[in-house]
Order: sequence, then structure tokens, then C-alpha cells
Amino acid sequence: MQIVSGGVTNVGRVRTNNEDSFRIVDSMNLYILSDGMGGEAHGEIASALAVEVVAKHCAETEVDPAMTIFADMPSAWSEKTRRLSSAVHLANKSIFDSAQKHPEQRGMGATITAAWIDGTRLSIAHVGDSRAYLLRSGSLQQLTSDHSLVAEQVRRGILTPAEAERSDMQSVLLRALGAHPDIEVDSEEHTLFSSDVLLLCSDGLTRMITEPEIAGTLQAEPDPTKACERLIELANEQGGADNVTAIVVRIGEEPKSWFSWLRGGQKQKKTTAKIGSAGGK
Amino acid sequence: MAKLSLMFENRLVKEVPVGGRPVGIGRSPDNDLPVDNLAVSNYHARVYFEAGRLVVEDLASLNGTFVNDLRVERATLHDGDSIWIGKHHIKVDASGDTTAFGDTGKKGPATPRINETMVLDTKARREMLQQAAAMGERTQFAAGRIKVPTLVILGGNTDQKEYVLTNKLTVIGKSKMATVRLKGWFKPQLAAQINQRDDGYYVGPGDKIPKVNGAPITGPKKLNDGDVIEVSGLRMNFIFRE
Repeated sequence: MQIVSGGVTNVGRVRTNNEDSFRIVDSMNLYILSDGMGGEAHGEIASALAVEVVAKHCAETEVDPAMTIFADMPSAWSEKTRRLSSAVHLANKSIFDSAQKHPEQRGMGATITAAWIDGTRLSIAHVGDSRAYLLRSGSLQQLTSDHSLVAEQVRRGILTPAEAERSDMQSVLLRALGAHPDIEVDSEEHTLFSSDVLLLCSDGLTRMITEPEIAGTLQAEPDPTKACERLIELANEQGGADNVTAIVVRIGEEPKSWFSWLRGGQKQKKTTAKIGSAGGK
Repeated sequence: MAKLSLMFENRLVKEVPVGGRPVGIGRSPDNDLPVDNLAVSNYHARVYFEAGRLVVEDLASLNGTFVNDLRVERATLHDGDSIWIGKHHIKVDASGDTTAFGDTGKKGPATPRINETMVLDTKARREMLQQAAAMGERTQFAAGRIKVPTLVILGGNTDQKEYVLTNKLTVIGKSKMATVRLKGWFKPQLAAQINQRDDGYYVGPGDKIPKVNGAPITGPKKLNDGDVIEVSGLRMNFIFRE
């Protein structure tokens, strides 16, 4: 399965500093996005630390699969999902410890949305209100739940999604990395299909533009980096109230469809070049 | 001119001046100071001038209006008082002979605004969610029973008769990784998919366009208890099991 990806971050039209961080590790098919919070430059420190710790831990587990997994996790999960979730626990601890050590960093925190692709399996680990979406067969599916007060109220049937979008309380998070020594991490696994498009983005995108606009842009622009640029442009046209970051990952044509197998699998050879480059299989 | 500053956890949500007409405070968005909090009644309280004095009046709210810790039905406000409504409080600035409203020049360090992201601490979070549970008669939590979204197969060839939807994304198709696995030749790998969103479950197209209650969907369609979904020769019932 061929994978192409791109990521772009932008300060937006209102803020003067960019507290978002992202990392793409193409060789591992690993994608990480974080939105930091905290006074002065501390949001940047928190998000950079989150991204760094997750990338580093995942890379280390590739070399040494015997590394400890933090926190209890369902054994039904694949190794990669457990590693990714473990890395997020570690990132939480790193940010919390740093803020304990440096009093001026008190109150800093970060969201994280990380995706790791292994063959056709997609692992997601997530805390906060950044999001992962999957565009499939033309419809945009949200793979993460926001850990915000307004989203929780929508889940409990107290606010409608429209009321939540108008609320003053949208920036109030119930969960973020760095606030407590322990954290609950949302993790899930999905199966990827050919032509799927994965989007990771910060709330600076989803608060500015609608899901149909996001879906339309991802469909219209095949180049991942250009799709990110276009999404950011749209967010900035709508006011760009916050930092905006997007990572787009495009899954190539599925080589092993029933028909190509019938045809003798000639198509298979051409497109499998990047399979398993993460060394998982 | 006097002004009221709506605060949440020491962050400024909104400021309004108090002038000729009363300032309405409550959960309904048509208030001058809408307070987005479940412990707040739709029309909770109002603040106005009467005989040259600033007065707060509770509008028979469920959870009460407090001025500096004292529950009040009606009270005169003084500069520096705080009106507490749920987890929010409203700072009273009655010092104002200062002319232009919005002149913050005399203030010290700027109060952080609510549009900066913040995380609730454990205590505040628990309190707010408890309020949510207490107030939410409309919610599934109120009944004390969790409703489990389930697909019951009515017709067609699948590997199980019933599926509990546990994932954010449920795939219906022939793929061996699909949750609802279709059997038979020429069935699509990915027939349709169901996405769990904050406000409910939505069915979306895969390689096929599913029908809900007989009508083909035109985009992601929110599912209601009892809906019948048809796709690729499969008929199933979407229900919430208690």
C-alpha cells in the first residue's frame, strides 16, 4: 500500500506565536500533531515536547520491542497501538515533570493526536481537542472525540452541536497532556482501505471551517502538502483566530483487490514498494 | 459607567456595561450575559440601576444567585462585589465615572481571556460534570441505564446475527477486517460505514449507497433508534439496547 503525506503549520491571522507542533516520520508511517497551551512560550515547549517524546519512543520500540509498555491496555490491541498509546502516556509525564521542575512552566499543557500505519492497520492515540478524520468514499468520518467541556455536553445530550459551536466555553478542555501525572488516553484501531485519506488537524482548522469544506478540499487536491496549504488558507480566510496545523496522509490503491488477483497481480508489484517500511511485518 | 465582567476560573468570558436597561443573565443565548453552564437557569438574574444604586435580582432561579457567598433574592451591589452563578462569577465594577467603556488602561496585568485554551482541574471538572448529570433529564445518563447501540441483522448473509457498535467507525463489507462481515461473491469490500459522533451515530456510504428506512442517503445520515438500514442485500435494524 503506497502512502504519501504532507504537513503544514501556520500561526493564523490573530496570534503572534505558533503553539502547534507536528512531526511526520515517513520511514515509520508515523504522524503526530500537538497543540500547546500555557503563558508566554510555554505552549510551544509543551507541544514540541509532546511530539518529540512520542516520535522518539515509537522509534525506540522499533529497535527494542521489549521496551516497557506504560499503563494498562486491552490485550486485543496490536503491538503498535499499545506502543503509540504508551508513548502518549510518556509524553504526558514528560510535560508534567518539566512543569514541576520549572515553576514558570506551571499550567502548560498540550493536546496530542497521533497516527501510526502498519500495513492496512491504522492506530490512533489521542488526548484533547485536536482531531483525526478519515475521508472514505467521499464522506468524512471523525475518528476522535474532543475532550472538551462542550463536546462532553453534546455527548450527554445537553447541548446540540450547533449550540456547542457558538459557546464561549469551547476552549475549556477536560483532558490535556501535562495537567496531571496520570492521563487517560483514547486509542483505537481501524482498517484502512485503498484511497482513504487521513487528516490530523488542530482546532484552529475545525473551528474555522466546516466539515463539508474539509471533505471538498481533500477530494479536490490530490497532493497532501497542497491540500494542507489549501485548508490553512481557508481557515485564515475565515479569520484565522488560532494557530492552524494539518497533516494529510493519502493511502494508495489497494493492490490486493479481488479483480487484480484474478488478472494475475501485475498491478501488485508496482505499488507495494513502501509496504512494511516501518519494519513491523 | 458600571460594568459587569463574566468570569470563569479567573478568565474573562464577556464584559457588558450597565446602563439604562437591565442586564439579563442566564443560560438562554438572548441574555445580555449568556452563561453557558447547566447550573444556570434560562433567565437566572438581572442587574439594573434603581434610585442610583446598582441592584441584582434573582429571577426565581433553580440554583440561586449569590453575592459574595450569600444567597440573595435582591441585593444592592458595590464596587468589587462578585455575583456567583454556578461555576461562573460576575465581577462588579461600579467605580466607573470613567467615561468610555472598554477603557482598561487603569488596570494592571490583562486578565486572560477564555478563548485561550485551558484545562479544568479534577475538582472543577467533576463538579461541572456532576451538574451536567444532575441537570440532564434529557440524557441517557439520567435514567441510570446505559444504552448500547446495536445492529440486529434482519436479512442477508453475515458472520453474526447481532453486532454491538463499540468503535468510532464500524465497517460493513466483505473485507476480513470489517466489523459486520458480508458473505458471498461480488459483495463489496466496503459496503457502508457507521461513524460514532458526539451527538449520535451516522451511517455513510462505502462502495454502495445505503438506504435508511427505504430512502437512499445523500450524505452521512444520523441514525435513530429503530431505523432500518439496507445495503448490498443486507437488512439490519439499528437499535439502542438497554
